[in-house]
Amino acid sequence: MAVLGRQPTDKAKSLYEPEPAEVVSVEKLTDLENVYALQLASGHPLGHLPGQFVQLALLGIGECPISICSSPTRPNTFELCVRRVGEVTEHIHRLREGDTIGVRGPLGNGFDVHELHGKDILIVAGGLGLAPVRSLIQYILDERARFGQFHLLYGARSPGELLFRNDLTLWRERDDVNFHMTVDRPDEQWRGRSGVVTTLFSEVPRLEPGETQVVIVGPPVMFKFVVLEVLARRIHQRNIFCSLERRMKCGVGKCGHCQANNVYVCLEGPVFRYGELKALREAIE
Amino acid sequence: MLDRVVSQSQLLALVDELALSRRIVGPVRRSDRHFYGPVDRADKLDLDFKYCVYSPKAALFPADQTLFEFQTGPDGFQTSPVYDESPLALVGVHPCDINAIRLLDRVFSNTNIDEHYLSRRRQTFIVGIDCPTPCTSGVFCRDMKANEAREGADIMCSPLPPNGVSDDVRYGVVFGTDAGREFVLYSHAGDPPTVDDERASERYISDKARAFPQSIPYDVDALPELLERSYDSLLWEATARRCYSCGSCNLSCPTCYCFNTYDRLEMTLTSGTRQREWDGCQLRSFAVVAGDHNFRAKAAARLRHRIYRKAKWVKEREGVAGCVGCARCDRACTAKISSVEIYNQLAEEV
Ligand SMILES: Cc1cc2nc3c(=O)[nH]c(=O)nc-3n(C[C@H](O)[C@H](O)[C@H](O)COP(=O)(O)OP(=O)(O)OC[C@H]3O[C@@H](n4cnc5c(N)ncnc54)[C@H](O)[C@@H]3O)c2cc1C
Ligand code: SF4
Ligand code: FES
Repeated sequence: MAVLGRQPTDKAKSLYEPEPAEVVSVEKLTDLENVYALQLASGHPLGHLPGQFVQLALLGIGECPISICSSPTRPNTFELCVRRVGEVTEHIHRLREGDTIGVRGPLGNGFDVHELHGKDILIVAGGLGLAPVRSLIQYILDERARFGQFHLLYGARSPGELLFRNDLTLWRERDDVNFHMTVDRPDEQWRGRSGVVTTLFSEVPRLEPGETQVVIVGPPVMFKFVVLEVLARRIHQRNIFCSLERRMKCGVGKCGHCQANNVYVCLEGPVFRYGELKALREAIE
Repeated sequence: MLDRVVSQSQLLALVDELALSRRIVGPVRRSDRHFYGPVDRADKLDLDFKYCVYSPKAALFPADQTLFEFQTGPDGFQTSPVYDESPLALVGVHPCDINAIRLLDRVFSNTNIDEHYLSRRRQTFIVGIDCPTPCTSGVFCRDMKANEAREGADIMCSPLPPNGVSDDVRYGVVFGTDAGREFVLYSHAGDPPTVDDERASERYISDKARAFPQSIPYDVDALPELLERSYDSLLWEATARRCYSCGSCNLSCPTCYCFNTYDRLEMTLTSGTRQREWDGCQLRSFAVVAGDHNFRAKAAARLRHRIYRKAKWVKEREGVAGCVGCARCDRACTAKISSVEIYNQLAEEV
């Protein structure tokens, strides 16, 4: 085996070693989610694709996979939206501006943006699913001339859970994106639409099946209903993409935690074509 | 074709020579069982062992291993990777375990190179010992095409039938690598094979072919296809009813390589290590994410996952089989769940 014969590079870098990054800013989005802008201590840009993720490490506490929620077209910093749900994310929420955190990545495949160039785009995001897909939304808006029509649908459970409110306002004001959002459970102040995200499809005009690429990211239940809606519009299965979540420990195809049948989500994913997923029995359950 | 013939005492002398510059890990007897363990002298090894309870995997991929050390301070943190490059010799490794090591070599060197495994592996000299007969009942290494190891060991030793001249066991040696060839030839151990030795070696091979029974009623190359058709079989649920989800099968498997990572913090709270430890897909928590969602909540789904990995998916991904037929999982299981029995039952699914 060639690698076995190879001489070890002296003190070769470990696959598992994070590099330091500085917290440039912290913004509270909701009771549970903060968004962190980070900059690698090396000064290099992260060099990611929309849809990729990093392993975020707090040394002494642990690591967890987090999607990069900003576009590589904005390279000075990169952003991560972190929901506080357990041990590591709890500690991440204690970070302040100027603190240092460990980062490994970018990891995973990300969206193949070249395949999306020149096409009409429909993005449907539900809940925290907006985070991974925001990198792609920013990318499309920054490179707007490369894309055809752009439809964007977003659903959250309640108004209090809406993420990236500044972005939502911005997107609504732009006339080069057909943006609509809804909440499942409105409160008294809510003036917008209510109902599940599929109700927003009435705002999407006729789609050209061969010319439209669709990205769906959200909880599994939402995924099924949205796929149905999209297939009813005769979109090709190979043109529907989604991003999967799994338990992850290494992020580099070794530890086995992220397997969905024979697929390693950290390597071959997290972005998959719907056509591939259908054949993969453990993917959507 | 043999490269050399050595007696057992000459082989032990070779091991002592290896011990001058390497740690030695080989079969040692503890009460009535054998385990791979560290020794400082060859005469502490028992080369007449039948099999070792566990494979020598832990010598290359320790059950708990430091990946890197870190230090934190007001200006951030520093890390430095930890690699073990101390020379090692694994002695008395059977073909099944050599084939398992070939899989680990592949897994840790494909796509992303894992220096923590490879730095040890590069420094490891393997003395293989072939099995003339099944080492114990229940093994199905022949069915898995893993009771021979043409590659993987630096030298491979097959115990030749007695020649009537000496009582000492004689081994026909085949060099697997240049390192193996150089080591044996420079130490002038043993003799070049004679015509009689070659004949004895041929007899060894034909006796061996008869000595291993067939345990699975089809060629294992058909196994992936059989599994493909059995995903929704009731077999998984029926068998998994007995499963305790204890993970003993994973723990005893020479090819299981899944792991967990965790941080160890010193009392000062400013330095520590990132560790990795063996994990097992049969444990309930293996695929659990925050919010307690479990992607493989049922024991049946976990059992199916293990069998598919061993008999289909690993081979499809890595090109090297994921099961070597050593039956350690079958012996380790308190619920008497048997992989070879499952492979047999699959033949009945149409
Ligand atoms: C590709 C990918 C992208 C993700 N992107 C985001 C994101 O942008 N924002 C966000 O808030 N969350 C995201 N998650 C989920 C996030 O990783 C988990 O919420 C986080 O790991 C929980 O860790 P914890 O220690 O706080 O929770 P605990 O429940 O204490 O978790 C303990 C350990 O379990 C593992 N684990 C638990 N939940 C998950 C999970 N859902 N996915 C993977 N491993 C898990 C981790 O290894 C963690 O260290 C993403 C997950 C994946 C796989
Ligand atoms: S050893 Fe047996 S009981 Fe334990 S997890 Fe494996 S199959 Fe289940
Ligand atoms: S996260 Fe370890 S293999 Fe994918």
